[in-house]
Amino acid sequence: MKTIVETNKVKKIYGTKENVYTALDEINLTVQEGEFVGIMGPSGAGKSTLLNLLATIDEPTSGDIEIDGTSITKMKEEQLSAFRRDKLGFIFQDYNLLDTLTVKENILLPLALAKMNVKELERKVDKVADKFGIRTILEKYPYQISGGQKQRTAAARAIVTKPSLILADEPTGALDSKSATDLLESLNDLSDQDKATILMVTHDAFAASYCQRVIFIKDGKLFTEIVKGKTSRKEFFNKVLDVLSTLGGGVSDVI
Amino acid sequence: MTLFSLARKNIKGNFNNYIVYFISLVFSMVIYYTFVSLQYSEEIQKSILLSDTMKFMFLASSVILIIFVAVFILYSNSFFTRQRKREVGLYSMLGLRKKTIGKMLFYENLIMGIIALIIGIFLGTLLSKMFSMILINLMGSTIEIGFELSLKAIIQTVIVFMVIILFTSIQGYRLVYRFKLIELFNAEKKGEGIPKVSLLSTTIGLIVLAAGYWLILRPFPDTLTIEYIQFNYGLALVSLIIGSQLFFRSVTVYLLKLSQRNKSRYYSGTNLFETAQHLHRIKGNARTFTIIALSSAFTISLFGATYGGYYGNEKQAKEDAAFSYSHLSKGENFDTKIENIIKNDKDHQIKAQLDLPVIEAKGKLSFQLDYLTEPIKLIPQSSFNQVSNALDRKARVSLLGNEAAVIKPRATEFTEKDFKNQEVDLQSSNQNLVFTEMTEGSLLPFDYPDFFVIVSDEMFGKIAKQIKPLTYKLYEVGDEKNTRETALQIDKLIGDDFQASSSFYIEYKEGQEGNALNLFILGFLGLVFLAATGSILYFKQLTEANEVKPNYEMLSKIGVGKKQIRKSIGKQMLFVFGLPLTVGILHGSAILHFISNFMSNLIGANMFIPMIMAMAVFVVIYLGYYLLTVKTYNRIVNK
Repeated sequence: MKTIVETNKVKKIYGTKENVYTALDEINLTVQEGEFVGIMGPSGAGKSTLLNLLATIDEPTSGDIEIDGTSITKMKEEQLSAFRRDKLGFIFQDYNLLDTLTVKENILLPLALAKMNVKELERKVDKVADKFGIRTILEKYPYQISGGQKQRTAAARAIVTKPSLILADEPTGALDSKSATDLLESLNDLSDQDKATILMVTHDAFAASYCQRVIFIKDGKLFTEIVKGKTSRKEFFNKVLDVLSTLGGGVSDVI
Repeated sequence: MTLFSLARKNIKGNFNNYIVYFISLVFSMVIYYTFVSLQYSEEIQKSILLSDTMKFMFLASSVILIIFVAVFILYSNSFFTRQRKREVGLYSMLGLRKKTIGKMLFYENLIMGIIALIIGIFLGTLLSKMFSMILINLMGSTIEIGFELSLKAIIQTVIVFMVIILFTSIQGYRLVYRFKLIELFNAEKKGEGIPKVSLLSTTIGLIVLAAGYWLILRPFPDTLTIEYIQFNYGLALVSLIIGSQLFFRSVTVYLLKLSQRNKSRYYSGTNLFETAQHLHRIKGNARTFTIIALSSAFTISLFGATYGGYYGNEKQAKEDAAFSYSHLSKGENFDTKIENIIKNDKDHQIKAQLDLPVIEAKGKLSFQLDYLTEPIKLIPQSSFNQVSNALDRKARVSLLGNEAAVIKPRATEFTEKDFKNQEVDLQSSNQNLVFTEMTEGSLLPFDYPDFFVIVSDEMFGKIAKQIKPLTYKLYEVGDEKNTRETALQIDKLIGDDFQASSSFYIEYKEGQEGNALNLFILGFLGLVFLAATGSILYFKQLTEANEVKPNYEMLSKIGVGKKQIRKSIGKQMLFVFGLPLTVGILHGSAILHFISNFMSNLIGANMFIPMIMAMAVFVVIYLGYYLLTVKTYNRIVNK
């Protein structure tokens, strides 16, 4: 099996001399192809920093990050943009859809940026639209559809280019439980059937229970990790809750 | 912390947003101060012939300027306040009363206005000498003017602008009351609808616009009446306004939608993002675009026409008064007196001195002519040829028996066809003339009706037995553009022999001064206008930049590079700046075409250069705003 993400002693320090804050401290993380990995931890633990580093929109102070066999720490800005376009997919808490574009146009935007020919492009859009059940709303604008539909649109956009790695930042944060479940199941299918590699930052133990593996971070360091293995989602959910309670600090976030 | 110091801090913090507004404000103050100080400047008034006209023109243009500036400040203010909705909302949430927030905005506006006023007057006094020199230079005067501090002008500028600033500050204060707290926070949440394509209004827009152009460009009818001008061009103006508005509202939407159909182009790179962005903004931009396009059109065409007038002034003066001095002979004493004055002017040697006999006869034309031919002014062929020779003109005539030639009346469009083989019956002397040709080249200063007919010397002699000819004395001197003293002296003696001036110098100088004045005033009004509209476009784009910032962050995350975003911004701004400017230039060209037709004596190559100049200045200034906007926009969304 292929290694998609490999971080080696990644460190991120904010601030200058007197006022130094270590957000991430020597993080070593490996994600294999087709894995659905959750990242949890209390507020300020460094989850978002880690995600930003993997998203290549922030640089580590030291250490190395390899995604799909390529080291991203030494790339130039233009190379990074191209890398993001070709290898990464993003799903955000607040959807980040363009209000001026239709659902269809939002989804095909990354393909258009890659200058794919129209036929191929429309075929791909139809395929992901079916996968997320948003075919009927393709011609609508984001302000005309529900939050769940928006998030599924965002997910469709994230995977339409078949990226090596999909990064999701609190994707269920703004969704009701039904929509959240739909989305999580879709993500689960993606990793099961399409061998998509997904890394999801979340506060929500329920969302985390859909992952195959959950990594916990505290104070910028890896705290522990648990693997779902053969256990049921319900059991895994309880395990996640157990870890969270020992982790402390984040209890209020869980509920 | 007092409200006042909070206001001061806000200005400091937002200075980057305000700087362009601030500069436009200072600039309009400088121009206003210049206009007013020129209006009061005695030094300049003494040196020019048209001092009364100048006073009036500066007064009129400063009023126009003030109205324009007031609208500009008001617009910018409501704009800033709207831009700061969120901030106002936050203050409200923190428990500040609307009254207090309003007061804070009032102070901010007041402080900024006062600072602008101080800088404006300071720069105005510094620059007014330079501006006066430009005017003096344009007028072709050589006087040296000293540095003048016009207290009257300062006081007037301060009072006028303080009134405007106070008024607009009160408006700013009142604006706060119109906001609802909930709106302040949900400012950008309301989904802007995509405008629908209306085939009807697109078609109407195109038809109205085409009709407007047709009305402007169609040739003049045979008889040009005031009613025709009012009706035809009034209608043209209305259709241009409505047409432009519909063009920006509907036709552009239609074209953008059409461009979406070409999928392989639309779905390529950032094209779909840009097109969608334009489609969403077009509704809000349509009115601004219309105003900018129309006022650019008028500024360009007026400036072009005035510049054409300035440019063609010498030719015009030469046509209106061909000789350096001309006068009707009024007895030997009078004639000698004039001759002596001219002879005594050693700097301007007489190059030619001629007598021109003219018979003013009554005649009946055998054909219809849309011109007053009462009296017909007859001149002998030999005199015409002599005069033509003295003026280095090529036209010569040779006539036999009852043949006659018409000199084309000035400011008309007659051609030889109108006269050839037509006859005129000179009732008073029982002679019948047949026109054989039309020639150009007027001899005497303009006096309506300008209907001169050349006859053979023999015929002239015959008629002269019945009607006593008048004699005109003509002088051509060297360096006739600088005969100020002599010309003024003679002008007083001669009085009203003609409608035009009796001397070339006065005709030339008055024309030059009048045109220079127009050019100067229109030029600066045009610049103020440009600065203001340019900065309005600038603000609009920057507010938009702040609103759509998350979109660009998203684009960057899904892999659009910084360079590509920069390019995309450049493309979008080109649309925003280029579209109204292009429409404005097209409208302007059409209007200018009409003006140049109207002032028929200015047609030809002369109009072309001024037109290109006016447009080039416009384009260059807009280009400056364009680059500035792209730079700032990019700084906001593409850090």
